[in-house]
Amino acid sequence: MTTSDAFTSHRERVGAALADGARFAGLHATSGGALVRTLLADQDGTTRLETVAAQKGVVPSIIDLAPAAGWDEREAHDLQGIRFAGHEPLRPLVNHDPALERWVPVRGEDVYQLAVGPIHAGIIESGHFRFHLVGDRILHLDAQLFYKHRGLERAAEGKTLDEGLAYVSRACAACNVANGVAYASACEQALGLVPTAELGRVRTILLELERTWSHLNDIAAICAGVSLAAGNNSFAALTERARRLNAVVSGHRLLFDTVRVGGSELALEQEQIVAAREELASINAAARRGWRELLFNSSFQDRLSDIGVVTATHAERLGGVGPGARAAGVRQDVRATSPRLSYGGFSAVVPERAAGDVQARFEQRALELWQTFGILDELLDRPIRPDSAEPSEEEQPIGVGRVESPRGATSCIVERRGDRIERLRLRTGSYANWPVVAYAATNNLLPDFPLINKSFELCYACVDR
Amino acid sequence: MLTLLRDLRRLRRTIDLPQPGRGRSLAIRHIDAGSCNGCEHELTQLASPYYDLQRFGLGIVASPRHADVLLVTGAVTTRMREPLMIAYAAMPEPRRVVALGDCALGCNLLGSTDDLVGPVEAILPVDLRIPGCPPTPATIAEALLELIDSPSSHAPESPVVSRSES
Repeated sequence: MTTSDAFTSHRERVGAALADGARFAGLHATSGGALVRTLLADQDGTTRLETVAAQKGVVPSIIDLAPAAGWDEREAHDLQGIRFAGHEPLRPLVNHDPALERWVPVRGEDVYQLAVGPIHAGIIESGHFRFHLVGDRILHLDAQLFYKHRGLERAAEGKTLDEGLAYVSRACAACNVANGVAYASACEQALGLVPTAELGRVRTILLELERTWSHLNDIAAICAGVSLAAGNNSFAALTERARRLNAVVSGHRLLFDTVRVGGSELALEQEQIVAAREELASINAAARRGWRELLFNSSFQDRLSDIGVVTATHAERLGGVGPGARAAGVRQDVRATSPRLSYGGFSAVVPERAAGDVQARFEQRALELWQTFGILDELLDRPIRPDSAEPSEEEQPIGVGRVESPRGATSCIVERRGDRIERLRLRTGSYANWPVVAYAATNNLLPDFPLINKSFELCYACVDR
Repeated sequence: MLTLLRDLRRLRRTIDLPQPGRGRSLAIRHIDAGSCNGCEHELTQLASPYYDLQRFGLGIVASPRHADVLLVTGAVTTRMREPLMIAYAAMPEPRRVVALGDCALGCNLLGSTDDLVGPVEAILPVDLRIPGCPPTPATIAEALLELIDSPSSHAPESPVVSRSES
């Protein structure tokens, strides 16, 4: 097969999968850059990798087939030196070009640029936003992240599968359980292990506890975005209670070090389970009470609608995931297709008014919270014992794990040689959603950007890695 | 909204906060130099009703020009080195640097050596170290309240210690 035949057939395979309803779920170059792999997730949750060999460092771009691959290709160019034929201009992502205007020419009468960050005015992660504006109207937003790039994936290469866990869980505090479970699932798939029902239950409880504090925190953040101190304080207090509960349940307020590859060491007696359920019920009641207050505060609600609109079509095209995409009516949730976890009977919820604006994303958090409290109440019905995954499948050189983090679908790919990591790729819900935030800001007013940004409340840490 | 305000007042009565009224303040400028966002999440809680550090004169300010303290989280990445140094240079003297969390202190650093400069003290003089992964809000609050009480932080007349701006 000639190079051009190989390229054409790779694009055809990816295109056919997408036409069959599969979703783009990530793209990465192998260590050294010999191969480029595209991860596709079918509607039923099964995943497959389409691989193409680089010819003199070049592979065909797939951004015309899957625009969501834009950031992945730019990252593979910056970190593994891959060039993508057809991706023009191939703008830097991880390695910053000081002359940004060379890359995004936004010209016209009265157009000016506004640079914000990397340091922000508050307790916020570091990242640079370059706004192109006319007056207060945003024409274009370039989110230039990766100021926090720590080279975690590269540092994990050569480490054992057990050691690798720290690199994905410390990639991000807010998604550490989701990242950890995605990584553990990838390793277990590669090792031919399947979690027992009990192990699946423990991991599901941890994932939903993470979602609980995270969504409470998101509601507080949106209130902060419009300076509604009473709402912010009320939900910040509930976030604190959820973290204190985490500490009681797992020994850590943010549930660090609770996930293991091939098993779980968490043990909880019946009294502890009962106490956790009671505290969750109390947090649930207080959250509903606070939610009602916010719902009927018209001056607050007036600030939320028709701001930062992302339609379902655009969310799909840009690869948006999680609460942000569901608030636009995209009924996608990895939890509905997670046989390794305890999500029996789960189906994704979307708001009645799925307008894809700040109001819908705000409401989405509450809908998901009520769902999460229900799941936890059901799963916390008996003591938790340490357990391990069982061998029942064939071993594979590559494993893939997919988990619904509080911010959306997170994929982890582990390529291994024996017990060592050859290549690790973590593509989190935040990574998928940042291009959607930039799109959502377009045509809005600059003073509304903090609110739009907070309605997604994405992490920078697990994007930058 | 009155319901929420009443709830918050009730909550405040149940929380055992230390007495305010030291009559002093400390303006803090936080900088994330490459954290996992854990220190930020715990730091944010200091403003919640459970800690309410503003009552003790501790506030986060938007500009390093208004800050007494530079509070740095995360292992310093190569890409954040310059912004961090610029913020430090913009601060009035006397100024203090607090390294918050294990990464900022150089404990169990994860990452490629090419992408990390190292702990905060590799490039700035550190006055206070707050360990933890991440430190709890209670630990952070305790450490910062001690800093507010230490004499030199509010003695602009004391000789300014010259420090390299490297």
